[in-house]
Amino acid sequence: MIKTGSNFIHVGQIHVDTEPILISTVLGSCVAVCLYDKRVCVGGMNHYLLPFWNGNGLQSLKFGNISIPKLIESMIDKGAKSNTMEAKIFGGASINFSSCQTMMVGEKNILVAREILNDYKIKIVAEDVGGNSGRKIQLNLEQGKVLLKYTAKSNFGDM
Amino acid sequence: MQNLSKIEILENEVEFLSKKILELNKKLIDSDKAKTLFLSLIANKLNDPMTAILGMLPHLKIQNGNEKIFSTICQEASDLDFKIQNLITVAEIESGNMNNTHALLEIKKIIDEALESLKYIIKDKNIEINVENLVEKKIVTDPKKIYIITKNLISNACMHCPQNGVVDIILSTEKSILTLLIKNESSEPKLKEIPKIFTRFSEKIDSRHGLGIGLSIVRELCESLGGSVEYDIDNNFVTFKVKLPLDEAMQDFQACGSNEFLFDSFDDAIEL
Repeated sequence: MIKTGSNFIHVGQIHVDTEPILISTVLGSCVAVCLYDKRVCVGGMNHYLLPFWNGNGLQSLKFGNISIPKLIESMIDKGAKSNTMEAKIFGGASINFSSCQTMMVGEKNILVAREILNDYKIKIVAEDVGGNSGRKIQLNLEQGKVLLKYTAKSNFGDM
Repeated sequence: MQNLSKIEILENEVEFLSKKILELNKKLIDSDKAKTLFLSLIANKLNDPMTAILGMLPHLKIQNGNEKIFSTICQEASDLDFKIQNLITVAEIESGNMNNTHALLEIKKIIDEALESLKYIIKDKNIEINVENLVEKKIVTDPKKIYIITKNLISNACMHCPQNGVVDIILSTEKSILTLLIKNESSEPKLKEIPKIFTRFSEKIDSRHGLGIGLSIVRELCESLGGSVEYDIDNNFVTFKVKLPLDEAMQDFQACGSNEFLFDSFDDAIEL
């Protein structure tokens, strides 16, 4: 039975659950990695802003290379195994055409997700990344399916 | 190779450089992991006895002539607790265990609570605190994060304020943005330190004050709430301006914690 409520995650957050809930977020140049382990029905999603922690500020989950390993660790803590996990990645859009740097952020966010998932040998079974549109996604933890809709530019700002 | 377009060459270069950065970052993270674990352990080990001390202090019988000693113990315990709470906050942020919560609250009460916990330094330096509250309604936000943000900023203002100085706190809302201004006089505001002020341990330049993590916590928590914090110096006055977005729609939900209103429908969505 799917709960009617949806758990919304913001930039720099992770949600991992064993209950068949819905996890949603809105993405621009940010990337969300959705993980699901069918064997134990554990799933989770993260939402990160930048690819790499620069070692300067606090080591928070808004950085891909901090957030993705943390998401994987949280999944393992709930009983999932990296060899049975499947990943889906979303986001990484190029939002601002006038800013070359912003375009690179989206690309790098995608690249970091692929690299780290590859390091952990987690298969990417679906992805919808890049492009110029923001995305709204909802992960259903009953089956690990993700619903995706593209959003108008004004709706997602600089997420 | 000769058939590769400029875009493909650029993409390959980006991929190569990103891999290099990733490798270097892995090393950086590994060396920092041990520190984070240590920080988390030490913060919790310090917190347990501190909770007991703070809980028992009010039950002590004060004898005549011991008031000053008792007051000093309370002040030091309160100060130490503040530092431990900041260490715990850093450990929570770095471990990823700090999520947003929502509650309907009166912002002024949070400020009062922060001021009460800083009463010793305020009394000690005889600081005049002026609070101007222009927020009429209750707001929906994360109470714990707001408390940590305000306490760190007020504490910072008090520490850098001269004896008998003034700290102004102004709270206002406009267009669904909560603005918190904390202004204090400072004898020697350091203009050159502006870029580093929110970087952790940058206070080593001025190690008399705190651990050097308070302002980095403030920035991290403001950003986690979708807001920002700025620092400005004007004629020996230092002002910190915190801007946090308020979700008016959330108020209708009575802070139930759901953000479903953001989504219209997934009826015609793509399934992946």
